[in-house]
Amino acid sequence: MNSKMKQFADASREKISALENRLSGVLQPIKPRKEFVHGVAHRIQTGTHATFFMDRIANWHLLAMLIAGLVSLAVFLAVAGRAMVNLLGKKRTA
Amino acid sequence: MPESEEQDILLHASQGDLDAFGVLYGKYVERIFNYVYYRTGNVHDAEDLTARVFFRALHHIQTYTDRGVPFSAWLYRIAHNLVANWHRDRSRHQEIPLSDAPTIHYKGDLPEMALMHTQEKDALLRLIRHLPSERQHLLILKFVEHMSNAEIGETMSRSEGAVKSLYHRTLLALREELDDLELEE
Repeated sequence: MNSKMKQFADASREKISALENRLSGVLQPIKPRKEFVHGVAHRIQTGTHATFFMDRIANWHLLAMLIAGLVSLAVFLAVAGRAMVNLLGKKRTA
Repeated sequence: MPESEEQDILLHASQGDLDAFGVLYGKYVERIFNYVYYRTGNVHDAEDLTARVFFRALHHIQTYTDRGVPFSAWLYRIAHNLVANWHRDRSRHQEIPLSDAPTIHYKGDLPEMALMHTQEKDALLRLIRHLPSERQHLLILKFVEHMSNAEIGETMSRSEGAVKSLYHRTLLALREELDDLELEE
């Protein structure tokens, strides 16, 4: 019984060890491109990096929401303006 | 770089010294790039997100306070948040492209053997990317950064024992997933 359990434990240990070997083959350090590393370093040094707001704007979802908001605001102002003109016009004719 | 020297550089960087921040950038850019690369699976997004990590760090470094955890832990946290946003934005896509993943060549392989190895590698990377983020982080620190359990513990704000236990559970889960995958094939 004990030897069977030992065999099972050994097999399990071997499997884990084989997995560790596979992982060390797959997860290897990658060198980023020099142009990229220097480009970002240059942007940091010159202060030409995106600000937090611009960083968020880079997210296209936020940009789309911002445009939609501006369009909605413009439509709302146009409708409200027209309603005001109509109301004022009616008051004058009355 | 000794820890006291890094503290000094950090102090200068938090006072707006861009040169000091540049030194920190030089020290950590490869580590953050590797983390983001293995979390996203493509070089283009890894570059974009790595740049954003450092710009965000630069923007917020004045508010950085040393709570006894390494500076790298703070950077990894920013990277983790940006990667999480990236995954959320792309949640409609089921598969992550692996086309530009670096190919590991096995000496003396026939083309069909090399293809098999690449497919195996892709399958394993895909399984890793389906693990919870802290387990992915642990594997990256262990295998890419070759950190000890104690160093990983410092970075992930966990005890050495907790890291050891999480590592063991991660390997068991991965082994199970691989067995299932091999049975399906």
